[in-house]
Amino acid sequence: MDPHHEEAPALRVAIADDALLLREGIEKVLADAGMEIVASVGTAPELLSVINANELDAAVLDIRMPPDYSDEGVSALERLRESGSTIGVLLLSMYATPEYAVRVMGAGAGTGYLLKDRVSEPQSLVRAVQTVASGGSVVDPEVVSKLVSRSRADDPIARLTPRERSVLELMAEGRSNSGIAQELFLGVKTVETHVRSILQKLDLEESPETHRRVLAVLMLLGSR
Amino acid sequence: MPAGPTIRSLVTRRSLVIAGVIAASLAMSIGGWAATPPEERFAPSYATLHAIVPLVFAICAAIAWRLDVAPAAARLMAVFPLLWIPQTIYNVIAPLGWLWPIVRGVDLLWGVLAGVLVLIYPRGTFDDLADKAIAYSAFAVSAVNFAAVLLLAVPDAVPCDCAPNPYSFLDAPTAFAVIDAGFRLFGGALVVVVAIRMLMRWVRGSVPARTIVFLMPVALLAWATTLAIQVISYAIDAEFDEVAATISLIAIATIPVCFVAGVAHTRNLRARVADLMRITRESADRTLWAESLARTLRDPSVRVYWWDDREGVYTDAAGEPLDRSDGAGRGMLPISSPSGARLALIRHDLALTDNTRLLDGVSSALRLSVDNGRLRAQVEATLAQVRESRERIVRAGLETRRRIERDLHDGAQQRLVALALQLRVLADRAAASGESELAERAEAAITESNVALRELRELAHGLHPSLLSAGGLALAVPELAGRCPVPATVDVEVGRLPELLESTAYFVLSEALANLAKHARATRVWVTVDMTTVDAPDLESDGDGAAHPRAGEVVRLVVRDDGVGGADRAGTGIVGMADRAEAVGGSFEMRSPVGGGTSIRVELPLAALPDTSTPSANAKYADPAQFADPASRG
Repeated sequence: MDPHHEEAPALRVAIADDALLLREGIEKVLADAGMEIVASVGTAPELLSVINANELDAAVLDIRMPPDYSDEGVSALERLRESGSTIGVLLLSMYATPEYAVRVMGAGAGTGYLLKDRVSEPQSLVRAVQTVASGGSVVDPEVVSKLVSRSRADDPIARLTPRERSVLELMAEGRSNSGIAQELFLGVKTVETHVRSILQKLDLEESPETHRRVLAVLMLLGSR
Repeated sequence: MPAGPTIRSLVTRRSLVIAGVIAASLAMSIGGWAATPPEERFAPSYATLHAIVPLVFAICAAIAWRLDVAPAAARLMAVFPLLWIPQTIYNVIAPLGWLWPIVRGVDLLWGVLAGVLVLIYPRGTFDDLADKAIAYSAFAVSAVNFAAVLLLAVPDAVPCDCAPNPYSFLDAPTAFAVIDAGFRLFGGALVVVVAIRMLMRWVRGSVPARTIVFLMPVALLAWATTLAIQVISYAIDAEFDEVAATISLIAIATIPVCFVAGVAHTRNLRARVADLMRITRESADRTLWAESLARTLRDPSVRVYWWDDREGVYTDAAGEPLDRSDGAGRGMLPISSPSGARLALIRHDLALTDNTRLLDGVSSALRLSVDNGRLRAQVEATLAQVRESRERIVRAGLETRRRIERDLHDGAQQRLVALALQLRVLADRAAASGESELAERAEAAITESNVALRELRELAHGLHPSLLSAGGLALAVPELAGRCPVPATVDVEVGRLPELLESTAYFVLSEALANLAKHARATRVWVTVDMTTVDAPDLESDGDGAAHPRAGEVVRLVVRDDGVGGADRAGTGIVGMADRAEAVGGSFEMRSPVGGGTSIRVELPLAALPDTSTPSANAKYADPAQFADPASRG
């Protein structure tokens, strides 16, 4: 399906999840997809030291881990980005929590936020890891649909047409224009028109193209 | 004075009665004096004194009425002057054969009235059966005497030139003389008995205001003595000594004066005890108690000692234990609670010992005050305990929710994901090996397990949102408002708060939004969470039953919508919110005019949450011995 992973060298990945059963499942899914599992650990600090010690392409980690079972995964991501690491980071969560998704997106490029449910859909998981490893962003469709259905007063998103909205949703999931075109059975030009219109309606015309896309996604996620 | 029409007419009537009685009495005295031949007249001084006695009674009757105590006594005093018939009156009524025997029959009845007056002192009613018996026998004997006089008296029986007795049916002068002498003897004896009873009562000291009342027995003794002399001299037909007669008159006139003075004094004492009650009603502190008592008892040396249950001794307000050795000339009044527990001890001047009614009043006031304070302390302690336990229950409930959520998250939810993954492997292999039916079934199982996972996720989230633990209200409230179908404007201006507060606030808001979504038919909702400072609640208005947040910093939650209003205060959602708020010492307020939207305002005190590791944080309320003692709190 994706020619990328057939030809390129295997992605080097580390996994952190305190639930052993799930960790092994993730290992298996990613290994089956031809990735190299460099390390598989149970806590965020362990993962950080693994990342420091190895040249890695991506890390998959649970948001809620010991010791506090709150947002250790997101904190680890933020620490990584603070230290200048650009490694792709995919966060897994049991809950679709937009607020976390915002934090994850806000941390910078090459990050993703996925529900743990996706582990049982190997393609979704594998594609998400590949996307973050190549510097793209991924947001779980469930989070996106939650945000879209979220009712807010004075919502700039409300100004979008239904078509524009679905384009934005796919942008939020980390698709490129051509990916979106494929998904919606539209021409790439049409998608580009929609994207321009979206950015215009969200008053985001001033910024450079790539950053604008991120900003649009952030806006969808409810924060500017 | 109250001045209602009834009272006024009563006062007028009483004034008229007194004036009439005085006029009648003066008429008898002056008329008798005028009708008596000059050579037979008493000395003017004696005659004047004799005429003054009934006036004293009349005036005392007026005062007793005005004091509005013992109306029976007042009536007796008012009737007395009419029966105080001077002997000279027979010079006036001698020709009236129909009248003089009647007058002669009642002319000693005043003695009975005076005696009864003494007996009913000071309460205006008979103290016991003996007193009652004495009074009734006196009246009975007087009635017999009246009949005897009426039927047997001949003109010789009175010192006058009288018309024949029309009622007389038997000329038996000896029988009459015997009955007459017997009556006088009996009367004299009764006066002596009454005097002795009075004396005994005085010695027992059960009558208040002994200093005033001491005149009463003296007067009675003087009267009894002179009466005895009178009876004897009458019996032996000797000339009655004028000195003894004068003493007798003064003694009799003293009786109503003593009565009125004693009653007034008692009333004064009661007023002072009432003042004491008023001052100390609100559990007065111990120093104030000693001062108030000294004032009430007019005894600056009064000391109050309070029972210290732990030490088993009485101590004064400063903590000095009672020294029983220097008790010379000092009386002790121990005060116990109705259940018999020792409360306090009053050490007073020995002279006050006899004033039992006063001391009774004082000890009642003290007992009431201490009991009030004790009960208040008990209620406060119980309330504090209930508050604490309610809070512990709420805390435990939240803790349980959190634990179950974590268990679900770490257990069932992870297992379901792993299960779905296993099924995925199975499905893929089945598909790869061409077993399409098996692959289909595995896919169906994956879908099922994902549905289960989703439902479990919703359940776990409802139990305790993980976002709340991780990010506090600032993260959890927008997420919560986002789930509400009504578009929300959310403003959260608080950082992290104590866990119990965050949970309470979260669930109150959750309930408010759920309620609003169900009933309000609103198109917009505004949710704000911020901190504010409230003043200390006014203690005076604390009795209205409303829950006041404790003073200090509070977390304020406001949920306002533009819906139809008219929310049902008794609805489970509303009551639940109020309960949640009050469980952590907060307040709940709702305004929901029909057609005017609904606004809910909850204030949760930040500092008031007691540290549950020390359940006796309010232990000082639990110790009734300390309630009124500012010294022991330091």
